Amino acid sequence: MEQQTELAIMPENNNSSSPPTGMQVIFREFKKDKLAIGSLIFLITLFVSIFLSSYLLVDQDEVMKVTLSSIYAEPGEQGFILGADHAGRDVLGQLLIGARNSFEIAIAITVITAIIGIAIGLITGYFGGFIDNFFMRIIDFFMTLPTLMIIIVFVTIVPKYNEWTFVLILSLFYWVGTARLIRSKALTESRRDYINASKTMGTSNIVIIFREIMPNISSLIIVELTLSFAGNIGIETGLSFLGFGLPPDTPSLGTLVAYAMNPIVLSSKWWIWVPASLLILVVMLAINYVGQALRRSADAKQRLG
Amino acid sequence: MKNKKWSLFAILLTFVLILTACSGDDSGSKKSSTEPKDTEKKVDAALFPLAVDNKDEAVEGGTLNVALVNNAPFQGIFSYAFYEDAYDAEILSYATTSLFDVDGNFMITDTGIAKMDVDEDNNKVTIKIREGVKWSDGEPLKIEDLIYAYEIIAHKDYTGIRYDTDFRNIVGIEEYNAGTADTISGLKKVDETTLEISFKKLSPAIYSGGDGLWTYAEPSHVMKDIPVKDLETSDPVRKTPLSLGAYVIDNIVKGESVKLVANEHYFRGEPKIKEAIIKVVPGEQIAAAIKSGEYDYVSNFPTQQYEAIKDLDNITILGRPELYYQYIGFKLGKFDTTEKIVKTDTNAKMSDKALRQAMGYAIDVENVASEYYYGLRERANSLIPPVFTSFYDESLEGYKYDPEKAKKLLDDAGYKDVNNDKIREDKDGKPLQINFAAISGTEADEAIVSYYLQNWKDVGLNVTLTSGRTIEINSFYDRVEADDPEIDVYMGAWGTGTNPSPVGLYGKESPFNYSRYSSDKLTELLTDIDSPKAMDAKFRTDKFKEWQEYMAENSPVIPVTFRYELVPVSKRLKGVTIDYAVPSNFHEWELTAEKVPAAK
Repeated sequence: MEQQTELAIMPENNNSSSPPTGMQVIFREFKKDKLAIGSLIFLITLFVSIFLSSYLLVDQDEVMKVTLSSIYAEPGEQGFILGADHAGRDVLGQLLIGARNSFEIAIAITVITAIIGIAIGLITGYFGGFIDNFFMRIIDFFMTLPTLMIIIVFVTIVPKYNEWTFVLILSLFYWVGTARLIRSKALTESRRDYINASKTMGTSNIVIIFREIMPNISSLIIVELTLSFAGNIGIETGLSFLGFGLPPDTPSLGTLVAYAMNPIVLSSKWWIWVPASLLILVVMLAINYVGQALRRSADAKQRLG
Repeated sequence: MKNKKWSLFAILLTFVLILTACSGDDSGSKKSSTEPKDTEKKVDAALFPLAVDNKDEAVEGGTLNVALVNNAPFQGIFSYAFYEDAYDAEILSYATTSLFDVDGNFMITDTGIAKMDVDEDNNKVTIKIREGVKWSDGEPLKIEDLIYAYEIIAHKDYTGIRYDTDFRNIVGIEEYNAGTADTISGLKKVDETTLEISFKKLSPAIYSGGDGLWTYAEPSHVMKDIPVKDLETSDPVRKTPLSLGAYVIDNIVKGESVKLVANEHYFRGEPKIKEAIIKVVPGEQIAAAIKSGEYDYVSNFPTQQYEAIKDLDNITILGRPELYYQYIGFKLGKFDTTEKIVKTDTNAKMSDKALRQAMGYAIDVENVASEYYYGLRERANSLIPPVFTSFYDESLEGYKYDPEKAKKLLDDAGYKDVNNDKIREDKDGKPLQINFAAISGTEADEAIVSYYLQNWKDVGLNVTLTSGRTIEINSFYDRVEADDPEIDVYMGAWGTGTNPSPVGLYGKESPFNYSRYSSDKLTELLTDIDSPKAMDAKFRTDKFKEWQEYMAENSPVIPVTFRYELVPVSKRLKGVTIDYAVPSNFHEWELTAEKVPAAK
């Protein structure tokens, strides 16, 4: 009797959350939500166009060259489509490169934190006991740190850094959230019967963790990644806004928005900060709509389709 | 659910559109006013008045709102013996005063708290203080307070930076500094109001407060019990400084603001405005703050923002040439802290004169001055501001923007590009990377720094910012003073003070000699300028000129700009003058309205 129920549950379990079905659910969910599909298409177009144009059409040294004769050139003047800033630098060029940098950084941070976070989360959740305790204390420690402050101090004392060291500094702190979330899910998942069965069959731990548990929580991982991606775009722009982001000769969306701290720029030089602010706003909204659709597909109760 | 989201999105979009539309309109209307920009880009500096013309009836009470424009917190060292930067000095000018008044030529007059008699033949100066002058706590000003100021600065534990070549000119001060004497033998209290100071030599600098004459008193009755090494961080310096001036510091919000109250014991009479608040305001925000009527008096106004305030109807803009020059300094050695003298290192990275001069010729100061400062700054040609008419050398060429000349100088000196990357290598063909330290400021300041870096790159010099970005002013000067090896070149500025004598900034024993350059010839010139022979005005003028030429020739520092100072003053303030010839008159200032007027 007991065995029967187990057998009955197992295939069902496998069915509802095995990867292909998961993808189908996501697909169905998007089909139902026009806003999400619109956002997704918009995001893809935006990313492709920004990456292509910033790498092929714009030269960073050229964009960041100070030209005194075109200080605060208005849009359309002297061939600046979106005008120029207080140093006569092309706003459009800065916008493209800045957006590219923000996206690159966000993608890199998301990938790095995801790899570390998922690996640690799965391992601690699966093994439990001492390993779980050990890693959780480390995570607790990281969580108590005032992350933003440390990053700011770090950026201030490290004399020379570039995009990639910046990414590493940020990744150092942002993996803990992912790890915690994945751990809690892996903890419940690893008590399921199919895992026990797999164990009795002599499957190695590594295979169980990455071939069996991970696919089963993949929907959660996708949602988590999407939403943390949106957050990570915010991190770089936010820090640059405060003046602790990328080095000053690197264009950034945050720096462009920060120019609006000068009331004169805010009130009469809109072309400097409006495009950057709009871009951030629209990208954030789009990612969130996509993320919500994904989240719904991960949770049967909220599904629309 | 879905509909709700769409409407949210729609609302956001409309909001954004309205925003853009608003600002779009704004720029449209601005266009007409900015068009004649090119013709009026250069402002005639002489047009600004020195005093406000307000004939309204004064009102009782009210608070004077002073803005101190600074993109960093102030240090908060409220003692003339210890302060280091111009921002603390600005606050100090309200909260205490010099013992002497000066006239338009910065010569000491008899109208201040003290007056002096110079006995040139015997190298003696007699200082007589007025009777009845009191500190803000009611304690009378004593001769001991004057002597005590010397005893702090010359003390062996003194932590400040004022014990320089000049100071050693007082008889007996070196013995006191070494610890072999308990008192300074050259300072003699004659009676309760008279002090006699013996100098090793006297020069004309004595008449403008140089030669080691210290023109401030310290309240010995509150400081006496504090060891000198702790004095800089003690309460009488940081929290509750006493005042001889028009106002007394009442409350300090560290780095942000200072509240002052009228000093009832001020010797010229209690100020009519009973309360004043000095606030630090970032450069980006000052124009808007002035427009909305938040401040009565703005010191350190960034002239880059002149355009934004020039048409406001709630202020009067006063202006005067400033005792100031901005310069680029080259680190040529170290300050030996044990011997307390400058040691010039002939192997320093910047020790080639041609390299230094090339850096001077390569930067386009002229365009920066006209584009960012509306002509309210100009390319400096000398290390003496033109305000000192008798010593300033007009005939000096200065470093006019001339990239070709810079390139030629570098080529001739052997700085050539050997690997064709458009960056020059040093004489041995090794990569040459120059670390440049600059003070962080407004966005325009940052843009100017980037522009100079770009100028240098155009002549093939690889100049990068120390620590990758501009440095906050307090840590900038800390690092420059500590001879940080990360700094090869730095851009700073001197407020020269009223004594034009350069020994305090370039002397061999001066910690302020930040470029750490010294030579026998230089020492000789500096000594000559402040020598007894210089009592002959012509001799002194000649030596001044010779010194300026020597500095231009050897260029341990390169002057960049002279500055014209603008002081926006609200229309409700009465009696303000910024004329150098008029002694401080805070006690006569009055308010003629309850509130600071806002612009229409």
